[in-house]
Amino acid sequence: MLVRSGEKAKIKIKVNGIWYEREVEPRQLLVHFLRDELGLTGTKIGCDTSTCGACTVLLNGKSVKSCTVLTVQADGAEVTTIEGLDAKELKEAFKENFALQCGYCTPGMIVQAHYLLKEHQHLSEEEIREGIHGNICRCTGYQNIVKAIRQVAGGDGHVHG
Amino acid sequence: MYPPQLGYYRPVSLSDALDFLSNEDVKPLAGGQSLIPMLKFRILKPKFLLDLNPLKELNHISSGDDSVIIGATVTHASLVKSGIVRIDLPLLHQSAKKVGDMQVRNMGTIGGSLANADPSADYPAVVTAYNAKLRLQSSKGVREVEAKDFFKGPYTTELREGELLVEIVFPKLKGYNYKYAKIVRRAGDYALVGMAVLAKVDGVLKDIRIAYTGVSDKPFRPYELEKSLLDTKPSENVIRDFAEKVASQVNPPSDSRGSSEYRRKVMKALTVNTLKEVLGIVS
Repeated sequence: MLVRSGEKAKIKIKVNGIWYEREVEPRQLLVHFLRDELGLTGTKIGCDTSTCGACTVLLNGKSVKSCTVLTVQADGAEVTTIEGLDAKELKEAFKENFALQCGYCTPGMIVQAHYLLKEHQHLSEEEIREGIHGNICRCTGYQNIVKAIRQVAGGDGHVHG
Repeated sequence: MYPPQLGYYRPVSLSDALDFLSNEDVKPLAGGQSLIPMLKFRILKPKFLLDLNPLKELNHISSGDDSVIIGATVTHASLVKSGIVRIDLPLLHQSAKKVGDMQVRNMGTIGGSLANADPSADYPAVVTAYNAKLRLQSSKGVREVEAKDFFKGPYTTELREGELLVEIVFPKLKGYNYKYAKIVRRAGDYALVGMAVLAKVDGVLKDIRIAYTGVSDKPFRPYELEKSLLDTKPSENVIRDFAEKVASQVNPPSDSRGSSEYRRKVMKALTVNTLKEVLGIVS
């Protein structure tokens, strides 16, 4: 596929279970596609430089920072955003443990925590902290965020959710 | 922030990609974890991006008798998960776990990191310790460059116009102790100082390879000083002396991560602690 500067690429992406066909500039970032083209504004833009993790989504089941992925790179792929994430237990745990203050990092935190719980059979507190170190909470509410993820992972270290 | 307006090419095969790369001002796109931020900051403004991700030829890990061959677009996360890497290249396995954060490891690739040649990145030190061979291919042919000759300076490598880093060939080093250690200022940052160590101990020290990142404009390996430790049983005092000498051989950069003087101090402490652990020296 050759797309010249100023031209648009025809792409097809499955987002939260629905296929979308659009024409996008090669320079468009996935996060802008999700927010501006599809209106899925649950995914946030924070640092915009792949540091803070507020824009975390699942790309073919793996967590990525959508501010550092081009939409054309996701052509043919499956994307899951916070709006389409099946994470009721995790969301409840965040609520119960006061794991959010301003809430800006929360969608990214929940997507990343969901991925972490799916990837690991056992999750120690250290693994949780290592697993979310690409997600920054400017309210510094990490204690409660870790507590919420631990609750879903189960006190015995087994994943329940 | 948007990247600049640019063109995009998605090749159908490696030879198709190499043909396109022979055009002017084409930048290969692997995981994009360094490239996309650089585009946003207008550090780079290529005419075309060449997307390597669809190329299956570059996404493989294969094990031979004496070596492991890793394709350029294998992600850090795949290196962490690979049984071949864990068993035959434990130093690489350990360092892959320490690259960036989990989301970055799901996108970022070994070839991208090496070709980018950030002077504080992890893999340049690791391939220098292994002295792995890097396969560089263009539409005209393929050549192999040893890691010690690949890095030329910050973000500068042996890659010529139209050449692509396609594979990395690691030697299987059996019976080696290993450690990749790095000090970072904050979680997920590049190394303030990092070091990769491979050591073979059989009564005395039979082989040792030490490569640093973050202390110079490219990976630093103190070949002569390494030799001074061979066929001996280094004591803690010898290691401390070694750390002094090795730190005096570099002139570390001063930047937002730390001053030159501080980096040198960190380098000394990291050297003592890491070598003691790798060589099993109890104080």
